[in-house]
Amino acid sequence: MFDDRSPIYRQIADRIKADVLSGVLKADEQVMSTNQYAAYYRINPATAAKAFQQLVDERVLYKKRGIGMFVSAQARDMLRAQGRENFFGEVVDPMVAEARAIGIPLADVIRRIEQHQQGDM
Amino acid sequence: MKVFRLLTRTLVTFCAVVAACAFVLVIVLTFVVSGFRDVTISGWNVLGSQVARWFLFWAGIYVVHNTLPIAIAHGRTRREFLSAATGFSVVLAVAMSLIVWVGFVVEGGIYSAMGWKADPHGSVVAYFLMFLVWCAVGMFCAAAFDRFGAAGVFSVPVGLMLVMVTTAGIPGAGNLPFVPDLPSLMGAGWHLVSVVAFAGAVLGTWVVARDMPVRVRTL
Amino acid sequence: MRVDVQGLTLRYGDVTAVDDMSFSLSGNKIYGLLGRNGSGKTSLMSALAGYRKPSGSVQLDGEPVFENAAAMRQVCLVRHTADAADKGDKVSYVLEYGAAWRDTWDNPYALELVELFKIPLKSKVGELSLGQRSALGVVIGLASRSPLTMLDESHLGMDTPTRYAFYDALLTDFMAHPRTIIISTHLIEELASLLEEVVIIDGGRLVLQEEADVLRSRGTEVTGNAADVDEFTAGLTVLSSKSLGRSKSAMVYGGLDDGQFVRARQLGLELGPIALQDLFVHLTEPVGGKR
Repeated sequence: MFDDRSPIYRQIADRIKADVLSGVLKADEQVMSTNQYAAYYRINPATAAKAFQQLVDERVLYKKRGIGMFVSAQARDMLRAQGRENFFGEVVDPMVAEARAIGIPLADVIRRIEQHQQGDM
Repeated sequence: MKVFRLLTRTLVTFCAVVAACAFVLVIVLTFVVSGFRDVTISGWNVLGSQVARWFLFWAGIYVVHNTLPIAIAHGRTRREFLSAATGFSVVLAVAMSLIVWVGFVVEGGIYSAMGWKADPHGSVVAYFLMFLVWCAVGMFCAAAFDRFGAAGVFSVPVGLMLVMVTTAGIPGAGNLPFVPDLPSLMGAGWHLVSVVAFAGAVLGTWVVARDMPVRVRTL
Repeated sequence: MRVDVQGLTLRYGDVTAVDDMSFSLSGNKIYGLLGRNGSGKTSLMSALAGYRKPSGSVQLDGEPVFENAAAMRQVCLVRHTADAADKGDKVSYVLEYGAAWRDTWDNPYALELVELFKIPLKSKVGELSLGQRSALGVVIGLASRSPLTMLDESHLGMDTPTRYAFYDALLTDFMAHPRTIIISTHLIEELASLLEEVVIIDGGRLVLQEEADVLRSRGTEVTGNAADVDEFTAGLTVLSSKSLGRSKSAMVYGGLDDGQFVRARQLGLELGPIALQDLFVHLTEPVGGKR
């Protein structure tokens, strides 16, 4: 379900992007129609339509007239590239800040990451 | 037309069924009474001259108080409804006076077969006019109470004046207060006075209900 | 159906329920009419439905509605427990009125909804529970398929599963038969995701009219050191604020620009979203607050 604290269309778009990234939605796979989506998640169809339009504009989805919306072939690669771009700013930097705030030496953090890499975890 | 059709179809049928049941009841009662004493008056006329007008009065109240808000809630205008209700009151009065008349015919047959005596009763037209005015006055009073709340009580004396003359042509309906000999003074003119009274009641209903808000129903 | 309200005022004796209100709805959307008790929601909708003679103008698709047969045909208002349901009438008879008097009435759909809400057809309206009576109102409102359908507090007395059945029915039918639907409610949280546009009124006046999703992005909760929060929020519209020790949290209304985001980060302030329900509470003045 969507919460009421930020624009729902953005939450919908984010969720579909996450599904594409994780592989739940595959390239050229049809996504639910606006109305199915609205009925399933109990949201206004115009809001769902707005989310889908944004995803079409961002080339994550493409329209086949009279049939529906599909995941574009390049969607996953594109979203992964965007994710990589934002990864350090959105994930690593705050983690480092948090580690410093609670007094964990960065060396410990690095050691932990290395354990992941060696498959110990 | 849709409003008129539903009102006549449902309410006239309902009133006719009630009247038919009342007739059977009156005949049964008459037979019961005949076991104790001689039958000298028409039971049907007691009902027709005394009770029936109050029934028509109730029908008028019901139409405005209960049905008008429903009509507006279903997208009908007050104007449409009031013209339909006016037509309905005429149809209802015709139907009820015919039922009264048929009742007298059947009752007359039973009475002569049993050798009972009946007192005189009024003409069909007399019953029709009485029913017509009482129904319209019911609508008027209901509109006044719905629109003005307790202040609607001022419609009661007006209503009383309008119905006063309607019993003139009907034996057994009781004498008029204050002016018991008015009917004989007017002669046949009471027909016209009744029609004017009906027009007055309809006009009053129209004036009061024309802009009437639909009140919120209590839970 | 387009709705235009211009300078609408409604008075009951000394009480002014709606005070010089003007707004327009472009139509074919689900609108939420939000307001506190006594804010004038029911009066406003009564004027829109021709239940009450307006002073000022109320037009539907450019036509005045009061005592206008063509416009009245297009409207259906269900207030609380249904004006079209007389307490003494059986449920089946209530539906007969709709079928007889509404050109747009869909009787098979009405019966389907009656079944969905488990309303006994043979019972009198007065014998139904409050929730069932509210559900009957929903049946009348939806089955009327009116180009302008208004449901006033239709959730009253409904239990949670029934409310969700109501929301689902509303949404499904709206998608199948797009029309202008106005819903007034207190349960904003439950209903908010169904709404495309929101009209908030208070004390008989219009507070705001906005797309629901835009409104969601308008509110920001700013939390941090009291002095920093005060510096940051100076000149902004602050709906409310509360302090705990040296930290303070303020609800700001209005979108923030990039410069403000940067400044907030520099000051170490935390920015968070505000739920529609909270925005509503603070946009309409608090209990005991100034009027």
